[in-house]
Amino acid sequence: MKEGFRQAMAWLHTWAGLVFGWLLFAIFLTGTLSYFKDEVNHWTHPEIASHPLDDAAALDKAQRYLEQHAAGMKTWYINLPDERQPYIQVMYPGPSGRFANQILDAGSGQLAAARESMGGEFFYQFHYQLQLPYPWGRWLASLCALVMLVTLISGIITHKKIFKEFFTFRPRKGQRSWLDGHNAVGVLVLPFHLMITYSSLVIFMTMLLPGNILAQYGKQTTAIYDDLMPSRGVPAAANQPAPLVSLSELYRDFQQQAPGSRLGLIEVDHPGDANASVVFGRHGGDRIVHQIGYGRVYDGVSGALRFDRQVSSVPMMIAGGLYGMHMGHFAGPGLRWLYFLAGIGGTAMIGTGLVMWLGKRQLKHAKSARQPFHLCLVAVLNVMSMGGLMLAVIGFFYANRLLPFELAGRSGLEVRVFFWVWALSALHAALRPARQAWLEQLGLAALLYAGLPLLNAVTTGQGLNRSLAQGDWAMAGVDLTALAWGLLLAWAVRKLWRNVPVVKARKVAMSAEGEPT
Amino acid sequence: MMLVVGLLCYAGFAGLCLGMERHYRDLVGRPPQARVSLGLRLAGSLLLAAGLWLAVVVDGGWSMGLVHWFAALMGSAMLLVFLMPYRPRWAVGLAGAAGVLGPALGLVL
Repeated sequence: MKEGFRQAMAWLHTWAGLVFGWLLFAIFLTGTLSYFKDEVNHWTHPEIASHPLDDAAALDKAQRYLEQHAAGMKTWYINLPDERQPYIQVMYPGPSGRFANQILDAGSGQLAAARESMGGEFFYQFHYQLQLPYPWGRWLASLCALVMLVTLISGIITHKKIFKEFFTFRPRKGQRSWLDGHNAVGVLVLPFHLMITYSSLVIFMTMLLPGNILAQYGKQTTAIYDDLMPSRGVPAAANQPAPLVSLSELYRDFQQQAPGSRLGLIEVDHPGDANASVVFGRHGGDRIVHQIGYGRVYDGVSGALRFDRQVSSVPMMIAGGLYGMHMGHFAGPGLRWLYFLAGIGGTAMIGTGLVMWLGKRQLKHAKSARQPFHLCLVAVLNVMSMGGLMLAVIGFFYANRLLPFELAGRSGLEVRVFFWVWALSALHAALRPARQAWLEQLGLAALLYAGLPLLNAVTTGQGLNRSLAQGDWAMAGVDLTALAWGLLLAWAVRKLWRNVPVVKARKVAMSAEGEPT
Repeated sequence: MMLVVGLLCYAGFAGLCLGMERHYRDLVGRPPQARVSLGLRLAGSLLLAAGLWLAVVVDGGWSMGLVHWFAALMGSAMLLVFLMPYRPRWAVGLAGAAGVLGPALGLVL
């Protein structure tokens, strides 16, 4: 390969990686957390108890609740409890147009008396919307994904010894180790990186590349979905009242027709109308291909099967496959942990890249007393985007436990705590010397992460002693992961503490050379 | 089953790794003979292929099997690469154990 091309790619990799790395780090970290969205939801709603799973009984409870509280609404959505989610979730567009999203206790079938919190949903939404108004957040996140794809591919081209150094990691060698680590997580987890980045673009493909759809369908862009899914439409309301079929009886029918299948999202259109429909969606855990909107459509009065919506075309299968692989709903516990670790790997790859960019340039200025402004700026942004984000994440968890239960607007306040902590960490990083800022922020983060199980035990009484004894692995898992992360951070702090900074080491070495012996 | 695929992949990568002169010298302490290197590389490739076969044909079909195999590849390679510099004996010991246990369990299951 021509050296000129490789150098051009190295330049692209360096600068695209730097400019988008800070945001990408946040996207990767929060996205990685989202693989345990349900577990985080469980942790952030400790009041909701688990009950033995019984789909039919849960359907009855959901139907009873919705008939009492949401009669006459156009559509109901129901999510049943499963191994990872202990509660029943019901959603419907309310009279004021606001979407009601309610959590029912799977035992009583009534509104669960739980603290208001977005829980894992916050990290999940943040990782593709970046807390910006629709559609700007999605566009920015997609731009980041595109740049990520560019940096991945330019990184592969730049990496000269991709096979020769496939198994190479040399610790305790300064910049060399950072580069080795960056390359190792980059290359060894490359299939995941490419899949996750490319699929994120596929997920938003109709938003990112609307040209074809606009050209074919003009202003009626939703018509494409009618073509893609011929049986998509459900009949309009007849405006004649008729009782809704019992959902649990429909479910028994469903179980006979498709034995072993689990229910995903359940949609009831025009409940209480003579033209009511019930759609039993497929559970994401049953197949890799993500099938939103697919499933069995029943007549909502007679209970007869109208049609079975299936993925029919190969392109839809590929797009759904990539979508499904990105989300990982199909993954059992083992694979889910690997997803999580691969996500951490991606996050680490971005982080090591940012650290290296700075370290390499700081070496050049090691002799001067003051670093140039742009390097100081990058140093601040590095601390804030990595150390600060980790503090913000754990801040969210602390806010979940420490904010008063009854506080109005509680879940919004949790989110604000996240951003306040992040902003404070940026301020702190700007005011302190870079090495001190790293030590202090990582040190504080180590304490907070390691202390999370203790906080949980003190504030809810559902600490590790209880969750482990009861086999509540979601609750214990969050606690233990936080503890492990805290220990990892503590190790990093210790390493950083003992490591004389490069700049200082140079100075010491130079003054030592100058001294007469 | 995924654990067995993981064992096969780990042993396979260890074979490929030891098949490289530098890593062999680091881990074993002396330079390898050319035939040993070739044998290790061959065995490594075969073990990786066995992992693929187990994941796809025996276990999950193409869709689930490929996902499991790639996950096992990534996980085992990361484990090997970051174990080697810190605990080289464990890395080699685990490779030996995985090289025996993986195929054995694969045949039994």
